Amino acid sequence: MNEELKNIRQYLMTGVSYMIPIVVIGGVLIALAIALSGVEAGKGAVVTNPIFKNMLDIGVAAFSMMVPVLAGFIAYGIADRPGIAPGLVGGVLAANLKAGFLGGIVAGFIAGYVARWIKGWQVPLNLKPIMPIFVIPLLSALIVGGLMIYVVGTPIAGLMEAMTSGLKAMGQGNAILLSLVMGAMIAFDMGGPVNKVAFMFGVVMIGEGVYTVMGPVAVAICIPPLGMGLATLLAPKKYSEMEREAGYGALAMGMIGITEGAIPFAAGDPIRVIPSIVVGSAIGAAVAAMFGVGDHAPHGGPIVLPVVDNPFMFIVAILIGVGITAVMVNILKKPVHEELDSDGTGIGA
Amino acid sequence: MKIIAVTACPTGIAHTYMAAAALQKAAISLGHAIKVETQGSIGIENKITLKEVDEADLVILAADVAIKEEVRFKNKFVYRTESQKAIKNPKALITEALTQLSENNK
Repeated sequence: MNEELKNIRQYLMTGVSYMIPIVVIGGVLIALAIALSGVEAGKGAVVTNPIFKNMLDIGVAAFSMMVPVLAGFIAYGIADRPGIAPGLVGGVLAANLKAGFLGGIVAGFIAGYVARWIKGWQVPLNLKPIMPIFVIPLLSALIVGGLMIYVVGTPIAGLMEAMTSGLKAMGQGNAILLSLVMGAMIAFDMGGPVNKVAFMFGVVMIGEGVYTVMGPVAVAICIPPLGMGLATLLAPKKYSEMEREAGYGALAMGMIGITEGAIPFAAGDPIRVIPSIVVGSAIGAAVAAMFGVGDHAPHGGPIVLPVVDNPFMFIVAILIGVGITAVMVNILKKPVHEELDSDGTGIGA
Repeated sequence: MKIIAVTACPTGIAHTYMAAAALQKAAISLGHAIKVETQGSIGIENKITLKEVDEADLVILAADVAIKEEVRFKNKFVYRTESQKAIKNPKALITEALTQLSENNK
């Protein structure tokens, strides 16, 4: 049972990993087209320039594939190649039924398990060649399509509608609370499974047109490496030579939104480092939520600044979180004696 | 021992390569030959050939997502784990995989 739960996470992550570049195309191009066109008072975003309009269309084309790609590659994770076709079909249906990413996830799992089940049938040898080209795609698509249309599509669409409108209308208190939790999750395992759950939620909400979930997440993503990098600069005596070098790397990784830059520090001294980065990221994310910082790209760190809503507070939120992490970890840390550091610094290599 | 390994993580930009580097270093320091294929967001790099699969004693898959072309390893002993385990303690991971391999061969 536990084994299958682990597999389910792997299937989901497979879908998300293939979806990310699509969200990058859609999120960034749409945001840029709108930002470059400017916003007319009272009318919202108006894209009139033909070049920007085409840019917008390219982004919209990418977004229209987001849910199908998510579903198709969840199914690929489960059933290998035979999963892709029914997964894509189920995903398009989910998108058409307005069942959003939740519908896509459900469609992907149905398609994957159905395709894997049919793949396992024992058939006479002379029927074998027609299995992968006729039987598996047709039957699995009919099953996943039928279930989406007649059974699960509409209730999921209702759920999605409730969730997105709830998130859009969320009061400030709840938004801050949500961001505290998401920020803490992002920092907790620095790119591991807990981090990816929060990240995935931010990414799929971009697809639903809610950017204020990804905004605080984007802030939280870069705080652990930037905070640890700053900490090594502020108190070099508390870090080994290897850690000081890793500090520069962490600063660079933080700028481009790679949380993993903090791993060498956390691996060497988890008890002091992890609480410091969790607190920094949680507070940074909460500050971002307080000022409605949004992010249109499925990525974090200063590198996404061009597609951020309220860029000034985005930077302020990052600085606050980074400062908290650096100061807190340096208060907790004692100076190192390099000669005692016999087994290295725990850098994971 | 000849080890082949595949690493892959959801985003495919950091963990995949950190895990590959960690496994490479640990295997060499333990005196094994190793080749690590990375399946990042850029696609497959340092690809393991069928000949190398044939010659290998042990296959390690350190992946958080479904890997590509897994069918290559179907006749081999495969040790499955997550990319993060390979980054944190690659030596222990290889030792554990070899223990399971020798139990499997009994």
